[in-house]
Amino acid sequence: MTERPLRSDLPLLGRWTVARLKSIRRTPRAAFFTFIFPLLLLVLLNATSNSSHVTVPGGEIAFDQYFTPSMAIYALTVACYALPIFGLATARDAGILKRVRGTPLSPWIYLVAWATGAILTGLAAVVAIFVVGVSAFGVKLYPELLPAAIVTILVGAVSLGAIGLAVSTFVRRAETAPAIANLTLFPLAFLSGLFFPIETAPQWVKDIAHVFPLSHLVEAFEGCFSPFTTGSGFAFGDLAVVAAWGLAGLLVAVRRFRLEEDAEEGSGRLRALVRRGALEGN
Amino acid sequence: MRILSAVQQDPARTNSHGDGDHVAVSVRGLRKAYGSLEAVAGVDITIPRGEVFGLLGPNGAGKTTIVEILEGHRRRSAGEVRVLGFDPERRERAFRELIGIVPQEGGVDPVLTVREVIELYSAAYPGPRPVDEVVELVGLEEKSDERVETLSGGQRRRLDFAIGIAGDPEIIFLDEPTTGFDPAARRRSWEAINRLRSLGKTILLTTHYMEEAQQLADRVAVIVGGRIVSEGAPESLGGRAAGPALVSFRVPKGLAAEELPLPSDVELERSNGHVSFRTKAVGRDLRPLLAWSWEQSQELDGLTVTRPTLEDVYLELTEGEGA
Repeated sequence: MTERPLRSDLPLLGRWTVARLKSIRRTPRAAFFTFIFPLLLLVLLNATSNSSHVTVPGGEIAFDQYFTPSMAIYALTVACYALPIFGLATARDAGILKRVRGTPLSPWIYLVAWATGAILTGLAAVVAIFVVGVSAFGVKLYPELLPAAIVTILVGAVSLGAIGLAVSTFVRRAETAPAIANLTLFPLAFLSGLFFPIETAPQWVKDIAHVFPLSHLVEAFEGCFSPFTTGSGFAFGDLAVVAAWGLAGLLVAVRRFRLEEDAEEGSGRLRALVRRGALEGN
Repeated sequence: MRILSAVQQDPARTNSHGDGDHVAVSVRGLRKAYGSLEAVAGVDITIPRGEVFGLLGPNGAGKTTIVEILEGHRRRSAGEVRVLGFDPERRERAFRELIGIVPQEGGVDPVLTVREVIELYSAAYPGPRPVDEVVELVGLEEKSDERVETLSGGQRRRLDFAIGIAGDPEIIFLDEPTTGFDPAARRRSWEAINRLRSLGKTILLTTHYMEEAQQLADRVAVIVGGRIVSEGAPESLGGRAAGPALVSFRVPKGLAAEELPLPSDVELERSNGHVSFRTKAVGRDLRPLLAWSWEQSQELDGLTVTRPTLEDVYLELTEGEGA
């Protein structure tokens, strides 16, 4: 009864998404970790790799042919997964979520705007990395594999975004957010072959890595830039795992996300009073 | 994602305007307990539409808890609460479209501009106030295209105020709206609040400043330890309008107070060459004195007639509380 038709919510979602993008663009931290840092790694490691080769499924390929898609996934993960964890925790700490809660805005609009802003930023970073990779290091694109690459990156972006939102609901304070984001991101990034291919790694490493979505995303995406890939390049099995994780993340986010909890009562003053009251009660 | 909003906007709302349309806020027997601490211990409040109602009280008296229950931010432990016919606890969208909140501490994305923030927050309301009008109302014209992070503390507070009124709400909750303001900024906010009043909006404000309550509020309630200890118009609070006035003046040089036609049934206090007494019959007791002054061509220097200020009454009511 009080529900507005969806058509009036969509422009609202658009507005909040645009505001997110503006905010990301104006925040140097976001630009650094999403664009500059992966590009820096790409340039430095390509420059020092001295045209070496790495082992991937099917054979050996040039380092930059492996490392460029790799850094693209890394940038995507930072933008879609890590930064929203940090950003939402900061927004909660700053009282932004509480303010939003007092307006007619639906929580889902706020949340989807965050995710959309993160996903679009991540995709922009992927494009930027490929522009550098192709123009500076001669990374080869295979036209017949491009549709698979695009679908893979989109599935990855949405799934990572959903997982990031889900994880953010477990972060209660902004100061713990970087630790949680980095401690989940970096070990997985190594295990999943983002920095070194895991093709030659021990089986148990691969087994652990394959529990998580990142390794599947990396393998599916790397395959789209490998000369040994046959057919259309769609790694449906890997994509299914990534999508399943994304769906699980979405469900957790929807169930757990609150703009502000009543259970988290009050101002510092009040909390101090409650403590004092509790002490006096003893 | 729809699931989430459906939970928050339960359509089965019982919007019984039980108190009639002229009542904006109706609170009966409100209680809120945090563990063993009862922050609100049985409060009744009725605020007619269009009234500016002030909640006064020391820190920790329960003001913010009450306001946040009325806003829908907190759940009550017991009691009946209606705001514009809604139960705030249900947090229906239609309710949130009618209220404006100026929280004590509210965050804003620091890299957005003032205008962008106001546009963003007002967009969710069905009939938002034009952004230029909002900016002008709070006096942030010169800052409207600056980022939030460049604002001073007072300007930030005015932005909070702007966000609170941007949706053109029927009722506005102002939690200590001018704390930390310099006097000029405070005057400016008072003007803005008075303009909202003239538009017929209902306003509930909490404040530490008696002058603010005096200037703005039609009615005030003093809260101590989660209870209302006094309620009424600021000028009559604690019976101060009917109480005795203090008459004081300097005794003319070369005279003793006894030589003046002072009332006989009062207790005279002397200090520093001044004499003062308390009386409920100011006209009766001053007339002989003024007649004497006129006949003798003798000025009564420093003559004042004062009543307890709101602050005096407030301090008396909240005595012993850590204000």
